[in-house]
Amino acid sequence: MTLAPTKTPIVSVRGLVKHFPVRSRGVLRRQVGDVHAVCDVNFDIYSHETLGLVGESGCGKTTTGRLLLNLVPATAGEIRFQDRDIVPLSRSQMRPLRREMQIVFQDPYASLDPRMTVNEIIAEPLRIHGVYKRDKVRDLLKMVGLSPEHGNRYAHEFSGGQRQRIGVARALALQPKLLVLDEPVSALDVSIQAGVINLLEDLQDELGLSYLFISHDLSVVRHIADRVAVMYLGRIVEIAAVEDLFRNAAHPYTQALISAIPVPDPKKERTRKRVILAGDVPSPVSPPSGCRFRTRCPKFAGQLTDDERKKCTDEIPALAERGQGHQTACHYAEALTLI
Amino acid sequence: MTAPSEVLLEVDDLTVGFPTEDGIVQAVRGVSYQVRRGDAVGIVGESGSGKSVTSLAVMGLLPRNARITGSIRLLGEELLGRTDDAMSKIRGNKVAMIFQDPLTSLNPVYTVGVQIAEAIQAHHSVGKVRAMQRAAELLEVVGIPNPQLRVNSYPHEMSGGMRQRVVIAIAMANDPDLIIADEPTTALDVTVQAQVLEALEAARKETGAALVLITHDLGVIAGHADRVNVMYAGKLVETGTVDEIFYQPRMPYTLGLLGSLPRIDESGRPRLIPITGTPPSLLNLPPGCPFGPRCPKVRDLCEASEPALTGTTNPRHQAACHFHTELASATAEEVFS
Repeated sequence: MTLAPTKTPIVSVRGLVKHFPVRSRGVLRRQVGDVHAVCDVNFDIYSHETLGLVGESGCGKTTTGRLLLNLVPATAGEIRFQDRDIVPLSRSQMRPLRREMQIVFQDPYASLDPRMTVNEIIAEPLRIHGVYKRDKVRDLLKMVGLSPEHGNRYAHEFSGGQRQRIGVARALALQPKLLVLDEPVSALDVSIQAGVINLLEDLQDELGLSYLFISHDLSVVRHIADRVAVMYLGRIVEIAAVEDLFRNAAHPYTQALISAIPVPDPKKERTRKRVILAGDVPSPVSPPSGCRFRTRCPKFAGQLTDDERKKCTDEIPALAERGQGHQTACHYAEALTLI
Repeated sequence: MTAPSEVLLEVDDLTVGFPTEDGIVQAVRGVSYQVRRGDAVGIVGESGSGKSVTSLAVMGLLPRNARITGSIRLLGEELLGRTDDAMSKIRGNKVAMIFQDPLTSLNPVYTVGVQIAEAIQAHHSVGKVRAMQRAAELLEVVGIPNPQLRVNSYPHEMSGGMRQRVVIAIAMANDPDLIIADEPTTALDVTVQAQVLEALEAARKETGAALVLITHDLGVIAGHADRVNVMYAGKLVETGTVDEIFYQPRMPYTLGLLGSLPRIDESGRPRLIPITGTPPSLLNLPPGCPFGPRCPKVRDLCEASEPALTGTTNPRHQAACHFHTELASATAEEVFS
């Protein structure tokens, strides 16, 4: 796949915000605060492109994926899909658009109805949109590498990898243009995971799909994504083309993430430099002022002077362009090669 | 390398079966391995390969209905067939175990200090005050900030990574000879995983304990093990030093595992090489090589007889494959496509 595909984005996200209310206990359940799940997030996904969205648990990557499909209403911001802002649309107004955008969930055990046969599961979206044809279901099963004869079985009769293929077939039933893949291979063993990743790559080539690939596994993201966005505590801290991100990571958080991934190569592993972060991710109910990463930032703790630190505590760093679409939200960004 | 040190743990032809309504599930089918003093042995395998059951057998923690045969010797003493009371003297004292989920291995109604002190007092006659002091020291070793304050925290007040470090502190409390860690970082984020693995290394340095590290993550194994045992369908299918396993694998399954991994250190996205099919059911396993149905190199001999672990490049690098000589310097790509 080449970089910089056609220049019109299939979906554009601008200033996306999602706050979840925190309510008090008791009868009144007054709102006592907000979980800042997603804060001022901007990105584009082009056609036939995979945007990887990485970050640790609780950083807001799954919420971003659901916002993108309008499955949860955004607090503020704009999501332009086919030149139309979908945030204000009602459920019924969204319905025709749902054909164009689908999602594959992480857990292949919870995402398939145990009382439906595989044929019924895959036929359901087709029936809802009134385009059901029997052959269509057979073709979809073949497309994801399952035998159409297995269509009368129930989900529990399949292994994890096969179930995830069923989930992909269901998502593809309406021939969408955009697929949100929310940790699609995290629950699978490595030997099975490879087959599902290959399938996703083949389907993208065949059908010209765009993917938002959400994952905490940077190795998988490096393999599958064209561009990568790194999230920390609700904000995108770095976004770049995949090779650029892994070779010249400029945000201290991205650097720490990359250096923390164990490499299955004993000689490299013995000689690698590690950036080990102190502490844990702060609560998204009261995120730190200024740069949200500063409480764990090795640069903030070890290299900056007090004057320089003041900027980190007072000013929210904006995503600044470093050339060729590589953007970093750090006042003191500096590219480092870690692998 | 120095002369081989004393053998600490010796597992010999261990089998574990669980009776079910459909018959006996043979979770472990004849596993033998040794852990020497100070060694770090990694056990890798996919879900259901028997890697956890093997270690639970060492700790004497299998359910009562499990059918266990073979022998497990710790410093020459047989552990199988001991009463639970006798095992309690060994558990936590000579051998300690770290489980995957720290929230279920800690008691929610006691502070972590009390829980560490309890582990110390179970095996040593020390006073409460002294035990609490030692608890704070241990928390310091595993990298928990403000250990003097943190001994009074409850597990729910800590993050997942901190809890797992508390579990490591409990494991090292009695200077064990052996620590068994069963997927200690699987539930954690990568940056926290790095912290916990560092704490585990610190614990080993402090106690000089040998480590058995069970994981499905080949990256973690590459960085933290000296020897590697690869398990498949209840058996060891390859064993050797970490370099032998990663650079000269002699069993198609090991080769397949390495080929199916997406690599963060490789650009240009070479196509992944998946292993087709799924692991066999351990109920009524057919004769022959258990990996046969998924192996691209399968021949008549593989279906007729199950290969034993035999020496390859050297007597301690063993593989269970009839045709391991053909795999010398083969790549996953050549074998699987």
